[in-house]
Amino acid sequence: MGEEEQMRYAWRVVDLIVGGIFVYAGVSKVLDPVQFANDIDNYKTLPWFVSVRLAFYLPWLEILCGLAVISRFFYRGGLSILTALLAVFISATVAAKMRGLDITCGCFGHVSKNWNFSTHLVLDFAIFAAVLALSFGNSRHRVEL
Amino acid sequence: MKLRAVREGLILIALAFLPAIGEGIYFRDKVSWQSPIPASELVTVDRARSWGDSAIWVDARPDEEYSRDHVPGAFSLNEDHWSELLARFLPHLSPDKKVVVYCSAESCNAARDVAKRLRDEAQLKDVFVLQGGWEEWVKKSK
Repeated sequence: MGEEEQMRYAWRVVDLIVGGIFVYAGVSKVLDPVQFANDIDNYKTLPWFVSVRLAFYLPWLEILCGLAVISRFFYRGGLSILTALLAVFISATVAAKMRGLDITCGCFGHVSKNWNFSTHLVLDFAIFAAVLALSFGNSRHRVEL
Repeated sequence: MKLRAVREGLILIALAFLPAIGEGIYFRDKVSWQSPIPASELVTVDRARSWGDSAIWVDARPDEEYSRDHVPGAFSLNEDHWSELLARFLPHLSPDKKVVVYCSAESCNAARDVAKRLRDEAQLKDVFVLQGGWEEWVKKSK
């Protein structure tokens, strides 16, 4: 296996990991939309009627974008949305911390309930970096697995 | 390439509405759409006062705010010292009593969170959140 081919497989693995993370995150929130609405509401940036509607919508968007990255069907669109979602989410988390809010992100449902701020941020930036790498560095290394 | 990404993104955004609407219909009776606390779990200051001794008041604000002032007879129960304060509060409960939880104002979440934990962890049924919180109590007491 040549170096080029190895790179393609490596990028494909990153595709599957990133896509899988978003599908998992979305499914965990779809199962408990009320809890996710509370998590959004805790940021205190949106009125409740918006938070609760977003809580029903965003998890499905994450799932579809995750599946798009995994299947490479609507790949670019999926990555663009995930990049935007992560940027908004990281900004909201940092802003909430600066306002002194001690909140749980709810990013992965109950699993992330007890994560502290640093853990959230490190994980978010790692995923953000992976999504950016896929968006800008992966175009030359396409392969189907 | 950019145009393609935008087109694909818009299609994904539109597609996500379909399952979201379906889920919303499925959960329509289980979610409070206008307020984070369902109307049945809210109580006004006047109504809570009318309960007299059959109500136990719980102050969900931080310790400093509770120390400064609180509803007469209210127990402090906030999430900063949950286990310790809950242990102090539970012996005063009886099945016929209603629990009224309040925090600083209408916009705070502490009362809602404490009420939820009391229902989930302490298995209490008659737990209510005070509409308008401490701010409303003070206003009505003038």
